[in-house]
Amino acid sequence: MSSVDTAIFVKPPSRASAYLDWIQMLTGAGLVLFMWSHMVLVASVNIGPNVMNTIAYFFEATYMAQVGGPIIGITMIIHFILAARKIPYTTDEQGVIWRHARMLRHTDTWLWVIQAVTAMVILIMGSIHIWTVLTDLPITAAKSAMRVQGGFWGVFYLILLPCVELHVGIGFYRIAVKWGFVKRSTRKGFHRFENIWTGVFILIGLITIIRLWTLPIAGN
Amino acid sequence: MSRKLKFNIFRFNPEDPNSVPHTDTFTLEETPSLTLFIALNKIREEQDPSLMFDFACRMAICGSCGMVINGRPGLACKTLTSELPDEITLMPLPVFKLVGDLAVDTGTWFRETNTKIESWIHSGQDFDPEAIEERMENDLANAIFELERCIECGCCVASCGTANMRPDFVGAFALNRIARFIMDPRDQRSDGEYFEVVGNDQGVFGCMGLLACEDVCPREIPLQDQLGILRRKMAFVGLKNLFKPKKPARERRF
Repeated sequence: MSSVDTAIFVKPPSRASAYLDWIQMLTGAGLVLFMWSHMVLVASVNIGPNVMNTIAYFFEATYMAQVGGPIIGITMIIHFILAARKIPYTTDEQGVIWRHARMLRHTDTWLWVIQAVTAMVILIMGSIHIWTVLTDLPITAAKSAMRVQGGFWGVFYLILLPCVELHVGIGFYRIAVKWGFVKRSTRKGFHRFENIWTGVFILIGLITIIRLWTLPIAGN
Repeated sequence: MSRKLKFNIFRFNPEDPNSVPHTDTFTLEETPSLTLFIALNKIREEQDPSLMFDFACRMAICGSCGMVINGRPGLACKTLTSELPDEITLMPLPVFKLVGDLAVDTGTWFRETNTKIESWIHSGQDFDPEAIEERMENDLANAIFELERCIECGCCVASCGTANMRPDFVGAFALNRIARFIMDPRDQRSDGEYFEVVGNDQGVFGCMGLLACEDVCPREIPLQDQLGILRRKMAFVGLKNLFKPKKPARERRF
């Protein structure tokens, strides 16, 4: 009977790193696309509360919110677990990367620090948001407005919005350069595009939060 | 009128039990075409003979004079003071073992890493000194030479966030080196064998894409492009073998 795992003594070749890198990238890319779509859909309230209500109704009538919502939540957790492998966890490593970033004064290194910090904020606040919205279906403009106007949630979203947009914007850029889709010759232009793109999404988000904050709630 | 340059230089001698890490300040008048290499030699000759730093070729070929110049790793011999502000701060390269002041031991690190990634052409053929050299297309030879230009100065490693955090990460240098062997038809290693060397978190999948290596490389080797190509290649090698059984670890060929 062989009950001893021989891999303890002779490490067999492993392809795990490759698979995990694939999953980290694919979940990341999926979440980037989801977040941008999500922003556009929520921003429909700027056209009119009824437009947002109609879109929300469509997603609930087709059960996309009820099924898709938890899938997005799980994808986020998987992405976190995989990407966290790269994030320094010991205070020693955190000190190293902090001093390194301050010494180097290098944009892409700072962007990564922002990515790592916003990741923690999104993990907690994003989970709270998903739970709150999905346990209180259906989504309506009036309910969202009421939440934001309560004050606490207004501030909550003012913090979460830039964190998410920065994280997905930087992540999108990072995937492109890391996997070689953007080459040396196109990196600068792509970076500029990415900055503008992220700025536009933060702006749309802010307008949407202001709109919800000022939306008259019928029946209240 | 020439500028008065202020140099803040890291000082520490690990061999001396009384030495404490600190910075010393030196002032030097700027002369035309002054490089940091010349400036450091002047300071050592005229102000402090105990100042330690490395150099050999003074023309960006030997890779000895890598140091952190105002926060960025670069070569002292290739950096003109005219490109820098009045105040210049010089630190040794991190990651590598400190010899003293600005001198670090890059040799040990590169030797170990070269051994780890098996940085030589793996050919089963016996060498025949009588035979005519094998021919290679000029374009291919140029493409290989483009990556072969690395002088092992250590700037890419010192600027890498991952290499700073994780001592087992092989860095852009090694990944560029493997990219060079993959191109070379004389190296008979299979994709699977390359995967075994760099298809892991110490290799290409450990790279977080911060691209400081790309931005500091004094030789301007296209590291970003090579890292991207290598990541895709290794990722697909992994994917292609998804349902194939794993072979046991092969014997190392030294």
